[in-house]
Amino acid sequence: MVGGGGVKVSLEWLKRYVDIKEAPEVLARDLTMFGLNVEEFHSLFPPLKGIVYGKVLDVRKHPKADRLSLCRVDVGGEKILDIICGAQNVREGLGVPVALHGTVLPGGMKIKRTRIRGEVSEGMICSEIELGIGRDAEGIIELDFEEKPGAGIEERLGSSDYIFDIEVTPNRPDQLCHVGVAREIAALYRRPLRMPECMTLETGAEYRLVIENGNDCPRYSAAFIDDVATGPSPGWMQDLLLAAGMKPINNIVDVTNFVLLELGQPLHAFDRDRLAKDMIVVRRAKNGDALVTLDDIERELDGRDLVIADADKPVGLAGVIGGRDSEVTDSTRRILLESAMFNPRLVRQTRQHMKIETEASYRFEREGDIGITVAALERACLLIKEIGAGCPALFHADILADPALVGKRKITMRTRQVNRVMGTHLSARETVSLLERLEIKSEISGRDVIASVPSFRRDIKAEIDLIEEAARVYGYENIGREDQSGCNIFSHISGDDKRIETVCNYLVSRGFAEVITSTFMDPGDPVRMGWLERDPRCNAIRIENPLTEAQSVLRTSLLPGMLNVARRNSLSEREGIKIFEMGKVFIPAAGEAGLPNEEMHITAIFTRSVRPLNWFGKQRSFDYFDMKGELEALLGRLGISQEIVLAGGGEGTHQFVCNWLLDSKLIAEAGVLPSSVARIYDSEHQVFYFDLWIDDLPRAGRDRKRYRQIIPYPAVKRDLCVIAADRVMFADIRNVVKREAKLLEKIWLFDYYRGGHLGEGKRSYTFRLSFRSSKGTLDDSTVDREIGRILTALQRELEVVLREE
Amino acid sequence: MNDDDASRLDIEGFEERSVKAIMEARTPEMLEEQRIRFLGRKGEITEVLRSIVRLSKDERPVVGGRLNELKQRLNALIEERKALLETSDGDEEPFCGDPTLPGRRGWEGGRHVLHRVLADIKEIFFGMGYSLATGPDVELDYYNFEALNFPPDHPSRDTQDTFYINRDILLRTQTSPVQVRYMERHTPPLRIIVPGRVYRNETPDPSHAAEFLQMEGLYIDTDVSLADLKNDVTFFIHSFFGSDAKVRFRPHFFPFTEPSAEVDMSCFACKGEGCSICQKTGWIEIMGSGMVHPHVFRYAGYETDRYTGFAFGMGIDRIAMLKYGIGDIRRFLANDLRFNSQFWTEIWSGVVE
Repeated sequence: MVGGGGVKVSLEWLKRYVDIKEAPEVLARDLTMFGLNVEEFHSLFPPLKGIVYGKVLDVRKHPKADRLSLCRVDVGGEKILDIICGAQNVREGLGVPVALHGTVLPGGMKIKRTRIRGEVSEGMICSEIELGIGRDAEGIIELDFEEKPGAGIEERLGSSDYIFDIEVTPNRPDQLCHVGVAREIAALYRRPLRMPECMTLETGAEYRLVIENGNDCPRYSAAFIDDVATGPSPGWMQDLLLAAGMKPINNIVDVTNFVLLELGQPLHAFDRDRLAKDMIVVRRAKNGDALVTLDDIERELDGRDLVIADADKPVGLAGVIGGRDSEVTDSTRRILLESAMFNPRLVRQTRQHMKIETEASYRFEREGDIGITVAALERACLLIKEIGAGCPALFHADILADPALVGKRKITMRTRQVNRVMGTHLSARETVSLLERLEIKSEISGRDVIASVPSFRRDIKAEIDLIEEAARVYGYENIGREDQSGCNIFSHISGDDKRIETVCNYLVSRGFAEVITSTFMDPGDPVRMGWLERDPRCNAIRIENPLTEAQSVLRTSLLPGMLNVARRNSLSEREGIKIFEMGKVFIPAAGEAGLPNEEMHITAIFTRSVRPLNWFGKQRSFDYFDMKGELEALLGRLGISQEIVLAGGGEGTHQFVCNWLLDSKLIAEAGVLPSSVARIYDSEHQVFYFDLWIDDLPRAGRDRKRYRQIIPYPAVKRDLCVIAADRVMFADIRNVVKREAKLLEKIWLFDYYRGGHLGEGKRSYTFRLSFRSSKGTLDDSTVDREIGRILTALQRELEVVLREE
Repeated sequence: MNDDDASRLDIEGFEERSVKAIMEARTPEMLEEQRIRFLGRKGEITEVLRSIVRLSKDERPVVGGRLNELKQRLNALIEERKALLETSDGDEEPFCGDPTLPGRRGWEGGRHVLHRVLADIKEIFFGMGYSLATGPDVELDYYNFEALNFPPDHPSRDTQDTFYINRDILLRTQTSPVQVRYMERHTPPLRIIVPGRVYRNETPDPSHAAEFLQMEGLYIDTDVSLADLKNDVTFFIHSFFGSDAKVRFRPHFFPFTEPSAEVDMSCFACKGEGCSICQKTGWIEIMGSGMVHPHVFRYAGYETDRYTGFAFGMGIDRIAMLKYGIGDIRRFLANDLRFNSQFWTEIWSGVVE
C-alpha cells in the first residue's frame, strides 16, 4: 500500500468514516488543492466491454447433463439466444449479465458460439469471478436493476469503488491510513468524522514486559487473545484489503493489516506459546544474535538493531519485520498482539542496513502516533471478536516511557504573525475555526490563540506549523494581496556574471557552438590525456557512490568531456568542430572544511575543417594560428592590454603547448593535443585547444575607460625586413621595438620566412611600423631617428640585422 | 503576346514586364536587346498599337494616348539605365559571373539551449529586482541538508538521492544551500536568484538526469508574505510562458519552507483540457516554493521573529523541455550539434522528438 512516497486508499473504505458525495474526479481535485496530491485515481476493476443486460425467458434441463440448464435469453436483438448455464441460481425472469460472442473476459477467455453435448450455446451468463469484479464463483450475478435487454451495462456492473493514489510527504505519516485521509476530507468539506468502534480494554494485564531503554522504545502496548481459531477472514474484510492492495492471509493477520490500513498503527501478532518464559523484552541486539525473519532470511544482528525478544532470543526486528518462529500459524492457540512506538532513527537504520522495507518500517520511520497504540489494540480486539477469530482478554499491558508524550502539545499562534506570513487580515476567532476543522482545538487568549495539538499530528511542533495548517484550510487560492507587493529592493549587476555572459556571447558571434558537458569524469581520463602524475589535474575528487565507474570522479578539466563531444559529432555529421564550454573544474584544496577549489574555465577546441565546404578557396583544417587568433581576440575583448608571455607548457605537456602568463600568472594553456591523445578520442585530425582560467583574470569591475582624443595628424608608415637567428622569437623583437620607439602606434608582421636561401638557422621577419605624434605631422628625420634607435637596439640585444636587398 | 492578352489590351501587364526587363539588364548590350524586344519596330508595343483597331471609336484615342505616354516613359527609363551601366562599365565584374554563388561564411555558433533559457529567466528576475548569487557545487552536508531543516537520518532525505564525497561533503542536490550561505553574509532586505548545477544519484532516463540546472529564488524582508510569493511567481510565469497561463498554488511539504506550495501552471498544450504533456491533469508542475522556515533563519543567525521571506526553486532543464517540447532530458548533456544548433536562431518554434 505504501512506497514511492504515497498511499493507496479505497473510496468505499473512506466512506466508513466520512460522508463523500463528490464524484471521484472532484474529490481528487479538491484533495490535491488541499495538499494531498492525488497522483492517480482509477476504478477498482478494469472496465468491461461487451457485457449486456439479458433477460432469462425460460430455463429447462440439458437433456444430457444434469447440472446444466438450457436457457433462452433476450439480449435485445432479433434473435433470442440459446445459452447453456451451469449455475444453480439461474431461473426464469432473472436479469443477468451476458457476454456475447466475441467478448473477451478479464481472465482472457474469449466467448464463442459453441456446442455442449449436442446443444448450442451462443454466449455466457456471467458470475462475479468470471467478470473479475468479485470473488463469488458460486452463481451467476442476479442484476438488481431493470434495463432494456441488450443495453451495455459495463458501467453499472462491478464495484463503484475507486482507488486513489495519494502522494504523502514525509512529514505527514498520519495520512498513511484511511482514517487519516478521511480526517482531511472531513476538514475539507466540514463534515463529521466517524471513528471506528473499539472494545474497551482495561489496564493492568499481568504480563512480563521489559523495555531496556525508553528512548529506543517510548511505548509498548500488548493485548492477549485466547482460543484463537485461524481461518479465512470474512469477505468484506478481504475485499477492502484487496482494494487497498494487500493480500488476505488469515483472519488474525488480516485484522492486523486492516487496523494498519485503517488507523495507521502497525500491529504484530506473536504466537504466545512460542515466546520463551512467556515474556517480551525490547532491547538492543547483542553481537551474535540472529533471527530468521518472516521472509525466511536469517539475519545477523548487532548493537544497532532494536529487537523484540523473549527470555532467550530475538523474536522480531522492532518496527521492521517479525520472526518466522513466532509467526501465527494454523496451530496457534494464544496470541500476543503488539502495538508499539519505536525510535524512528533506529527503525530507519535497521531497515537500511538490512535492506528491507515494510509497511511497518515505512510508518515507524516517519514517527507515527504514540497516542494510538492502545486504541489500535482495542479496535483489533473488537474485530477479532466480531469475526470469531479468537477471544480477547479484557486487560492489556502498556509501558509508556514518559506520560508527557501522549499529552496534547500546547502552542501559541499569534494572529499578527498569521497575517504577516499569509498576507491576510484574519481575526483570532477565524483562525480558531480554521484549526478546529483539523481537530486542533484552540482557545483565544488576548489577541492570540493557544492550540492543543493532538498526538496524531507529530509534525506540528511550532507556531509556523500551525500557520501552515491555517493557510491550507483557508485555501492558498484565497490568498492574495490587492496592494501589490511593496518591494523596494533593486538588482545589483554581478560583474562576474556579466563577464561570463559577455564572453559566451562574444564567442558565439565568432562562430563557436556552446556545449555543456558532465561534471563527472572517467578516472582514466587523466592517463588518456597524458597528464603527468603530479599534474594537479590527475588528482580528481572521487565520488563515494558513483553511478558508474566511468562517472566516478569530478572533472579537473573540461577537455576530456569536450573531446567526447567531438567524437560523438562524427566527421560525417560535422565537418568542423569549433566548440567552447564555460564551466567549473574541481581541484582538491585544503580550503573551507575540506571543500575543493571550484575554478571557472572557458575551454575551446578546434578540429577538422576551418570552414564549411566552399567554392572559393582550398579547404584546410584548423591550425595553431586559427586557435591563437581567437584567444588573442578574446583577451582583447576582456580588456587585457598587458603583455602576455608565452612559456613552454608545463612539465610533461606536449612540446607544442604554451602556457599563457599574465604578470607571471598562468591564465591559459593553449596548443595542440598530442596526436596519440587525439587518436584515443577517435580523432584523426589535429585538435587545437585553449583552456582559459577566467577566475584568474583581473576582476571584473566598473568600466573605467576614458575617451582619448583622436589625433588629427597623419601617421607615417615604414616597412622593415630583418634577419634573426632561430633562437630569437618575434615577441622578443616586438618588445625591443615597442620599448625603443617613442612614437610607435602599431606594428604588423606581414612576412615571415625561415631557412631556404637565408641559410640554416636563420629567419626573416618583415613588419610595418606606424608612427604618429599628437603634437603635429611627423617629418622624415624624426621617423628616421626612431628607426635608427630600433635597429641599433635590435642588433645590440638580439643580433638582429636589417636584411640587405 | 497572344490573342487573348491583345483582345483585353493588357497595358498594365505589358508595362510591368517591360520595366522589370529593363531594370534587370546588367550590361548595355542586354539593355539594347530589351529595347528592341519591347519598343523596336517589330517589338511588342507595335503589336499592342495594332490591336487598337479592335476598340470602339470612343476608346481608341484614350488608349492610344496612354500607350504613347508609356512609350515615352520606357524610353526615358532605358536612357537612365544606359547611363548608369556605361559609367560602371570599366568596373571589374565582382560576381564571378554569378551573383547567386554562396557568400563566404565561417562556422555558425550559438548558446546552449539551457543557458539560453536561463538567460531569459534571469532577465525577467533582474527586472523584478532580484540580484544574482552563486555557491559551490561541492557542498557541506550542513548547508545542503542540516541548515535547511533536513534532520540527519530523516526520511525527508530519501526524496533526494545524494552523491557523497565523504560523510560530510556531497554534491549539492539543490541550489537551496546558497540560501543559508548568503544569509550568513547579508542582512535583509535581500532578494536573490541562484542558478547552478545540482546532482541527484538517479539512473538517468528520459525524465531524470543525474546532473541538471536549477534556479532558486529568495526574498527576505520584515513583512514578506505568501501573497507576495504568489505575486512574484505568477508574474514570472506570465512573463515567460505568456499571460494566459493559469497558475495555482497547491499545499505541499519541503523541510525548509512552511507553508510550502507546489506551483502548477495550466498546460499550454491543451489549455487545461488534459493531454499527454500534462498527464491528463490539465496542470504542469513548474516549481516548488514556500515561506522560509524559522529554523532556516535560526541556522543563518537571524532573529527568527524579525523577518519573513519566501523561496522558490525550479529546474531549468524541465522548463526548457516544456518550452521547446523536448522529450528526453539526456539530450542536454549529449551535445549532438544537430540538437544544439536548433536553438541558435533568434526565433525558434517546433518540436524535438
